[in-house]
Amino acid sequence: MPLTFATAGKKAFICKIKGKDDVRHFLGSLGFVEGEHVTVVSEMGGNMIVNVKDTRIAISKTMANRIMVADA
Amino acid sequence: MKFALAGNPNCGKTTMFNNLTGASQYVGNWPGVTVEKKEGKLKDHRDIIVTDLPGIYSLSPYTLEEVVARNYLLAEHPDVIIDIVDATNIERNLYLTTQLLETGIPVVIALNMMDVIKKRGDKIDIKKLSEKLGCPIVETSALKGSGLSKLIETATASAKTAALQPIVHKFAADVESSLTDIEGILSGVVDQKSLRWYAIKLFERDEKVEAQFKFKADTRDKINEIIKLCENQYDDDSESIITNERYLFIHGLMRECVKKREEQMTISDRIDRVVTNRVAAIPIFIGVMFLVYFISVSWLGTIVTDWTNDVLFGEYISGWASDGLAAIGAADWAQSLVVDGIIGGVGAIIGFVPQMLILFVLLALLEDCGYMARVAFIMDRIFRKFGLSGKSFIPMLVASGCGVPGIMASRTIENESDRRMTIMTTTFVPCGAKLPIIALIAGAMFPENSWWLAPCAYFLGIGMVIISGIILKKTKPFAGEPAPFVMELPQYRVPGAKGVLIHMWERGKSFIIKAGTIIFASTVVIWLLSNFNTSFEMVDINESMLAGIGNAIAPVFAPLGFGDWQSSVATITGLVAKENVVATMGVLHGIAEATEESAALLASVAGTFTVVSAFSFMAFNLLCAPCFAAIGAIKREMNSAKWTWAAIGYQTLLAYVVAFIIFQLGSVFVLGQPFGVGAVIAIALIALIVWLMARKGYDPSKRKASLSAVEANS
Repeated sequence: MPLTFATAGKKAFICKIKGKDDVRHFLGSLGFVEGEHVTVVSEMGGNMIVNVKDTRIAISKTMANRIMVADA
Repeated sequence: MKFALAGNPNCGKTTMFNNLTGASQYVGNWPGVTVEKKEGKLKDHRDIIVTDLPGIYSLSPYTLEEVVARNYLLAEHPDVIIDIVDATNIERNLYLTTQLLETGIPVVIALNMMDVIKKRGDKIDIKKLSEKLGCPIVETSALKGSGLSKLIETATASAKTAALQPIVHKFAADVESSLTDIEGILSGVVDQKSLRWYAIKLFERDEKVEAQFKFKADTRDKINEIIKLCENQYDDDSESIITNERYLFIHGLMRECVKKREEQMTISDRIDRVVTNRVAAIPIFIGVMFLVYFISVSWLGTIVTDWTNDVLFGEYISGWASDGLAAIGAADWAQSLVVDGIIGGVGAIIGFVPQMLILFVLLALLEDCGYMARVAFIMDRIFRKFGLSGKSFIPMLVASGCGVPGIMASRTIENESDRRMTIMTTTFVPCGAKLPIIALIAGAMFPENSWWLAPCAYFLGIGMVIISGIILKKTKPFAGEPAPFVMELPQYRVPGAKGVLIHMWERGKSFIIKAGTIIFASTVVIWLLSNFNTSFEMVDINESMLAGIGNAIAPVFAPLGFGDWQSSVATITGLVAKENVVATMGVLHGIAEATEESAALLASVAGTFTVVSAFSFMAFNLLCAPCFAAIGAIKREMNSAKWTWAAIGYQTLLAYVVAFIIFQLGSVFVLGQPFGVGAVIAIALIALIVWLMARKGYDPSKRKASLSAVEANS
């Protein structure tokens, strides 16, 4: 399921990041890589704050929709 | 010797830079404060130059900051890279470290924020980590300034002994063999030191690096073949392969060297759940900003300002000056110049400095604790509705101090039309220099009940940004989707007193300097113009040159409710610096009231305005073309005369329309004047604005579609 569906406060892991463009690589340098654990801290109209690799990253809805996660 | 400071955004590079060099560069608790590199000399070792690079996550070519940083490293070749690693999120920080090591330049790691790690009870095996990475590691705390001398010692030693950074970390065997093949092709073409760096970059198909080499077609094909082979093996693109390999390597390091307690919800996360809550976030933000402006302008600010204005300047300084000048037998005109011109004008500004300082302290507190970065996230939802991303809010935050750095902060916005729109609207947010205007109107017109005015001015600015955003986005030059929003949020922390005071002082200083230079000169000119006529005879103020000029301009402002010549002149002088609006009022009203006991500016200003025209005057001066310094910044950042004129033209037009509507409708509804032509025009203007906001607008994707339809028909 896309990250936007993940429940806040529950740990999930990234199974796939869609797309092959610059945005994906930028997400990679921020720590969003396949197999990594993420936790949604808060969600606001589709935009979310996500905990990944001990940092909090704010991402917009379109980006969050490209990150596919599964419950850990 | 040259040291370069590199590291992730907001890991404490600039704080470290300030500690090392004794400089006081702007530090903010959000990522991306440093846009360009900065140089300084090391304290006590003046022969060592330290360069502060902008914060980056990687050495890829995707953001402006990354390009600036990597061009510097490769072209200038510093003797040592001091890589600042934030120990609290070491895993992500080491991702950049692995890339810095590959440049071949000796690296020294400053493991920052170790105090936080120890407090948490986590453990990092520094010796082992240093071995695995192949570079020395020094524990530091930039905030407390500890570990600095050891860091300098280690860095100097590395520069002297290690000419080349050994690259210890290796990727998977398949990837390594591909890299070795590319290295084989490159050997002899590039410097042996940076061989691996170039091999990896070519493997990643980095366009900027590819362009540096003028390979023959067959060489290019050969490299491509090597990459393709590896990509097929991994079923992924080459750049992602490298990204994954780096994280795999770092994962291994983490297992061996770092012991962390089981993760739990941190305090930051808990605060975030509240302040970025879907429902409460925006009310909380409005509440916070309301308090900031209420405290700085109305409550605490007024107490201090009243004293400086009425007692310090009103009684003592002008009293002493006129008595003193009379005692030494100075001529009447000289007394007038000093008392009415300089003390009246410059004093009017100095009186408001305490209010500005309080505002700056409060803003610095909000920035330092980490809340402002959250606001960008909160505002993204609103901004996105009209096609700006939350990133555009950062320049606006900076602009609440001063518009010039605010406009410059727009540089981090990648999308060009987003950036232009941000530049055009940033100065709507009232800057520190506009604060005296707000405070003057608040004090003069609403002495009993002014608590709402300053927050109202701030939200008027934000409101205009939003309305402009909606209108402009529907026009052709600005159409298009905003770039996706990604931003790291810093951890909440208790702001340091020293940092906050430095912030306040840095910002406040420039206003005091301005008061002593530009404002001082302006008030002298205004005094001259207001006391002499064209044949240089000293005359009554109403027959002076300035009155003549003012009267010529005044009709323009008459529909806005402040068509007297004094206010017109004040508005025009505001272009030089916004403080001048109040300074000019100080000179002109000071003279007019000189005969009375109280020369208080407030009382005199209250006499010239009605409640409605005062509000209109304030709105116009807050929104219209900014001061010359900010216009200069707009011109530099737009890099086009056409866009600069478009920006100031738009700002002034919008200011005029808003002030017109406020005055015309305010006169009818607040002052109960008859409904006239002006009110009709005002209503028509509101209708026009609503239409501009609601209309369908230009859609770039539609245009393409209809073009191809035409082509199909023909």
